[in-house]
Amino acid sequence: MNKERNIQKIGKTSATDRNPNTSDKFNFWLSPGVIVNPFDIVEVEQVSHEGKSKTFGLVTILEHSTDSPTHLANFISSNFGELEEEPNTPRQGTTIANVNVLSNDKAIYMPIPSEKTVKFADEKEIQVALGIDAMKPEDRIPAGLIKMSNETAAVAYIDRRYVLGPESAHINISGISGLATKTSYAMFLIQSILQKTPEKEKDKIAVILLNVKHGDLLQIDQRPERKFSPEEMEMWESLGLEPKPFDSDKVHYFLPRGRDGQPNSFLTPDIYHTYAYDLDSTADKLDLLFAQVPDTYFTLESIIGEIKEGMRNREPEFRNVNSWDNLLNGKPLFDPDKRATVAKWRDIRGSSIGVFRRHIRRMIKTTQSGIFVDSRSAHEKILTDEIMNIQGGHTYVVDIARLCEHEQMLVFGDLLRAIYSLKAETPEERKTPIPEKIIFFVDELNKYAPKGERVAPLTQNVLEIAERGRSLGINLISAQQFMSAVHPRVTGNCATKILGRSGSAEVLQSDYRFLDKEIKSNVTRLSKGELLLSHAVYRQPVKIIFPKPAYRQQES
Amino acid sequence: MANPLSSFLSPALDLLGQNLKILPAVGGAVEDLQHPDREELDDTLLTRGEEAIEAFAETPEPAPDNLYRHTPSLFRNENHFFQFFIDGCISSYYLGTAIEGRRSFPIELAQIGAAVIKRQKDGTLKTFKNKRKLLLLLPRGGGGLSDTLWIKLQRQSPNQEIFKVVDIKEEDILSRQERGKDPRDVAGGKARWEMHELEISLISSIYENQNQKIWTILDGGLRIGNVPKTYPLIGVAKSFAKNPEFFLGTGRKPKRVDITTLLAGLPFSSRTVAFSMKGGNIAFWYVRLREQKELDYPLMGVVKVEVWRKDKKPISSGMADLISRALVAERNVTPYGIDRRWHCHLYPIHMTEQAIRSNFFSRQVLMGCIKWPRPQTGGSNE
Repeated sequence: MNKERNIQKIGKTSATDRNPNTSDKFNFWLSPGVIVNPFDIVEVEQVSHEGKSKTFGLVTILEHSTDSPTHLANFISSNFGELEEEPNTPRQGTTIANVNVLSNDKAIYMPIPSEKTVKFADEKEIQVALGIDAMKPEDRIPAGLIKMSNETAAVAYIDRRYVLGPESAHINISGISGLATKTSYAMFLIQSILQKTPEKEKDKIAVILLNVKHGDLLQIDQRPERKFSPEEMEMWESLGLEPKPFDSDKVHYFLPRGRDGQPNSFLTPDIYHTYAYDLDSTADKLDLLFAQVPDTYFTLESIIGEIKEGMRNREPEFRNVNSWDNLLNGKPLFDPDKRATVAKWRDIRGSSIGVFRRHIRRMIKTTQSGIFVDSRSAHEKILTDEIMNIQGGHTYVVDIARLCEHEQMLVFGDLLRAIYSLKAETPEERKTPIPEKIIFFVDELNKYAPKGERVAPLTQNVLEIAERGRSLGINLISAQQFMSAVHPRVTGNCATKILGRSGSAEVLQSDYRFLDKEIKSNVTRLSKGELLLSHAVYRQPVKIIFPKPAYRQQES
Repeated sequence: MANPLSSFLSPALDLLGQNLKILPAVGGAVEDLQHPDREELDDTLLTRGEEAIEAFAETPEPAPDNLYRHTPSLFRNENHFFQFFIDGCISSYYLGTAIEGRRSFPIELAQIGAAVIKRQKDGTLKTFKNKRKLLLLLPRGGGGLSDTLWIKLQRQSPNQEIFKVVDIKEEDILSRQERGKDPRDVAGGKARWEMHELEISLISSIYENQNQKIWTILDGGLRIGNVPKTYPLIGVAKSFAKNPEFFLGTGRKPKRVDITTLLAGLPFSSRTVAFSMKGGNIAFWYVRLREQKELDYPLMGVVKVEVWRKDKKPISSGMADLISRALVAERNVTPYGIDRRWHCHLYPIHMTEQAIRSNFFSRQVLMGCIKWPRPQTGGSNE
């Protein structure tokens, strides 16, 4: 309706005794026939020291009110409940839009007076409203498209300095918005970052992607089988991006070894590497395997510590411990002669050693997917070594989709530690330059950094990346269904938060206190493909849409 | 922002403050409460001496034993019959008592307004005309304001369209009824008269560029002031005198019906036959808008309709039926819960009231202009 009538003026501001306009909020009534939706951006004229200024606001909620004091009055007005009777004079009512102030182009934050004409903001004004005009062009990363009720569209740019540092870093994506929406968005954003990076800087950014579901990210260098619709092409064009997959020659897939020695993945790319864990490469990461095992008295931690130290220092007791089998069924934890667990080892009681052995047996022998080997073949890589050699301009996909949970914990933690170590303590043997920025994408973050008082070693690694990653150039792009399930120190350090549709119980959690009550209720109504973008530069979150992935996805 | 009243009300009050001893009302001004059945009282006063209704004003002449006619709703989408609605509103304040020499009298301030609302084809309403006026009501002459001060006051208020100084001793049809009562009541009557005058001034504006066949509803009766008689206009009263008696039929012993009996028997969606008043100049009848079972009292849900009759010619039954049918359709929506007269209120008239009130100066704006000199404390030996 708005488009047909080419409406720009949509209503007038309204301040009342009980509902005044403030520096932060104002209200306006809508002219009949005008359609406005939550998240539309509007503009109102405001005073300034010189001439006039413009105040921009974000519509948060719309209310329709009438002069009817009760529902009973409406019932009576329909001739005491007559369904067919049309009123001769429709009851007087108006729709009121509640608006959160976004900004003023001359930094005037006086309350908006009543009776001021309200207009839809145009593309340029939307960008002024969000503070995008203050971003340097080279720092603008398209993060989606804002589409308003009057069909006006504007690109929601986010500031590179707040995405990759130095101002802030990390992006968290949350919600139950639908199949692969969060992953698709993360991939879109990574492509956007890479495409908008100046050519000379491209070799300074490396990307590591953790594939946790199906074969979602195992064909990112392939063109999609379907063709893009004209609308999708238009969206890509509006965003100033090219719909193309990742460069094949710069994508590296790492697939876990399966029980038969073949890759244990939903899909097998044409070119890939297989990775596996033998005892030697895992000894200093055993704590990651125990991330989910309760250890009230830290006895397991003590055993792990002793083993780690013993193997690293090649202590005599560990001289013959060179395979998982040796560790389980040989000295120092097991007495082959007595065919029993040792009664005591380094002041640790035999019963505790027994517990440790039972867990290790379960994880390495009985419930493993094939990733643990007593000895690796020549083509089976050690992930840490590969990560230590990553190159800027390349993308590394590590598949963990078919791994057991404890194995996923190990691989994730292993990657984190390797990245951290690469950036924090540059290996002497490294000849090529270390990428200045490493983008690390992980889905289901709640598994690895759950909320809770007990901070497991793995969670501690995530926290270190979240808190210190910015200064090291490590940028975490994480996703999960429920933000409330993730450790708040991780999400709290994300300067950019993306929300898909979420349940009302979820948005009532304290993790969402950065959102207004009205915006929270809108989050429960977001459709598939619609996301809420909260960025450090923006004063209010905005609703965005984004194009479908430009790479091939596995059919579900 | 300057007070919008400071250019005309403030100078007038300053003049009074400087020349009279003022005993201000508590809090600066006290809003006069409107009599709950003012409309009914006025109707009773205006029909005084005409309580006995003896003639019909309808053709063909109705039979005395058949006083009701069924008038089912005629909705807007079938025939958009009533398109204009006129109403007036008043709010008055007692500002204080003035003492000039040995005379003392009240000073009243009234805000009056009148509006015409036009209903469009889709049922939505638009303000067609909206007028507002401030009245300063004082008695002049014996027992009131001196002539000298009165003339000064008049000179300060040249634009009577906006602000008018009114002599409450100058009688009209309404204030006459209050003669001998408290001067504040007289001022109230005077203000009501001025309000009706304002309403009437708007009627002709409706038909300046409009189809002369479009019907207009005026809230209340037609007998106050000089209501134009040539336009298609009806007066609809929500409250009306309860004392008329009807003597119907010819012969030595006409049938006698009191109004309560007449209206208690009036079925839903029906009208009474039209009766004659003012020597045949006005035809009036009653229409039941709501079923009695929905209401507390049998006389609720009924409105009184008045129509001028050119040359005292009775109204045709068909026209009275048409008017009544269109009126019955006006019963929805209703201002239930907002106005205690909801059962007989017409929503467009209610909205006209709202339009007028929303155009009134707020109490805060009025109070901002009322600054009397501080009164002397203690008594005086003079």
